[in-house]
Order: sequence, then structure tokens, then C-alpha cells
Amino acid sequence: MPVTVTIPTALRQYAGGHASITLPAGSAGQILATLREQYPQLGKQLYNDQGALRSFVNVYVGDEDIRHLQGVETPVADGETVSIIPAIAGGVLDGAR
Amino acid sequence: MIILTGDVYHAIAQHAEEIYPNECVGLLLGRITGMRTEVEDVFPAPNRWTAEVGLTPTDADHSQRDRFYLDPRDYLRADRVANARGLDVVGCYHSHPDHLAVPSPRDLMGAQAIGSGSRFVFLIQSVHRGRAAELTAWLLVDDGARFVAEEMR
Ligand SMILES: [Zn+2]
Repeated sequence: MPVTVTIPTALRQYAGGHASITLPAGSAGQILATLREQYPQLGKQLYNDQGALRSFVNVYVGDEDIRHLQGVETPVADGETVSIIPAIAGGVLDGAR
Repeated sequence: MIILTGDVYHAIAQHAEEIYPNECVGLLLGRITGMRTEVEDVFPAPNRWTAEVGLTPTDADHSQRDRFYLDPRDYLRADRVANARGLDVVGCYHSHPDHLAVPSPRDLMGAQAIGSGSRFVFLIQSVHRGRAAELTAWLLVDDGARFVAEEMR
């Protein structure tokens, strides 16, 4: 049983329209690298020009953010789910009321 | 075209009034079919903004009255609830206490993890003196450079 990577609604257009993609098990970093190779447009949405994950783009293995596990070294076993999850922020500006 | 079904309109207004004078935030569950985004239910989330999640150093001077943060954990929970019902997270909403229902530059900055050019909708509920006022709908376009108003009914 391979690994399932879930793609958030607004990014599916960059991933062939798929809600989830199955990839071989490996580290989180390997899985993300394979994902970027298969869907370069998706890669551009997830990573900045310096090659780091964009702020507000989060990668979870199961219920935990990989930043709180072993980062890109986090092992992902067969049957586990990798979720790409956006955070959203905002607020009215000073003096704009 | 954004279509709000059932109790969605009322649920957002109620959440925004409850959290006033702070900004409220939540996700929208529904379906995207072609150019139509149909919202069937809301997933109210806590506003988890703190100075640490600030986008700029000056954020320490702010509070949840003029800042919101939707934590990815809440997004993940909403996504699971949606999937269990055969739905998707198709948008988000937040309130503007005593402010017009138009997106701020900071709303644009904080939307950058959402892919632009999709039918994922941003709803803004203005609240005037504790009472829900206008609700507007926006889509993110031009590689995330701006929001455009979208028709809603
Ligand atoms: Zn706003």
C-alpha cells in the first residue's frame, strides 16, 4: 500500500485536478520531490524561489506538522497520508477603519 | 458564481456577531462544479492569531480585533469533516468588525498559500457596532496579486 498525498482544493488545478495522489513510501522530502517532478506547476505554488516551502504552506504526516517531526527526514510508511495544508491569515490595516 | 445554500448566510452572520469586536474566521464546505462554487455548510474555526504568527514585526501592536489566523490544524479538521460528507473545503470566511467588507492588503498577503485562479472563495462579513452587515465574495487571481469581486446568491 503506497502513500497518499492530499492536495487542497485550490491547488488541484496544478496537480492534474487530483484530490489525492499516490506515491511510493519514503521520507517526506523524497515524497515532496517526486510530487514536484510529476507536477512542476504545483511545485511553484508550494516552494519559493529559494527552494523553501512557502510560509503558510504546511505539510502534515498523519496529524502532525513535519516541522514538529523530523522535517523533510520524517519517514512516511506505506498506508500513511501526507496532507498539504494551507494556513490563512489577514486583518484590517491600521487607520483603514 | 457563488451559491450559498441553506443556513450558510445566517451561520456566518451569527458567528461574526458572536466574536465581535474580534475578527472571526471559518471554512466553507461544499462543491465546485465548473464555474460554480456551491457552499453547503460552514466550519467555524477559532481565531488563533497571536503576535508570533504575525506577518511583520509590527504585528506585536495588534490583536484579534484586527488580525485573524486560521491554523492549518483547523483546516485539516474541516477537510476531514468535508470528506466524510462527500464535500470539499471550497472557501473561507472572516469578519471585518466596523470596517467595509473589502479585502485588505494583509488579507491578500495571508492568502498566498491558496492557489490563485481557482474557484476557492473568500467571503468577508462586515459587522457594524455588533450587528452583521454586508457579506461579499472574492476570488484570488493574477498569481495571487489581487482579489476580484464575485457574484453571489
Ligand atoms: Zn480581512
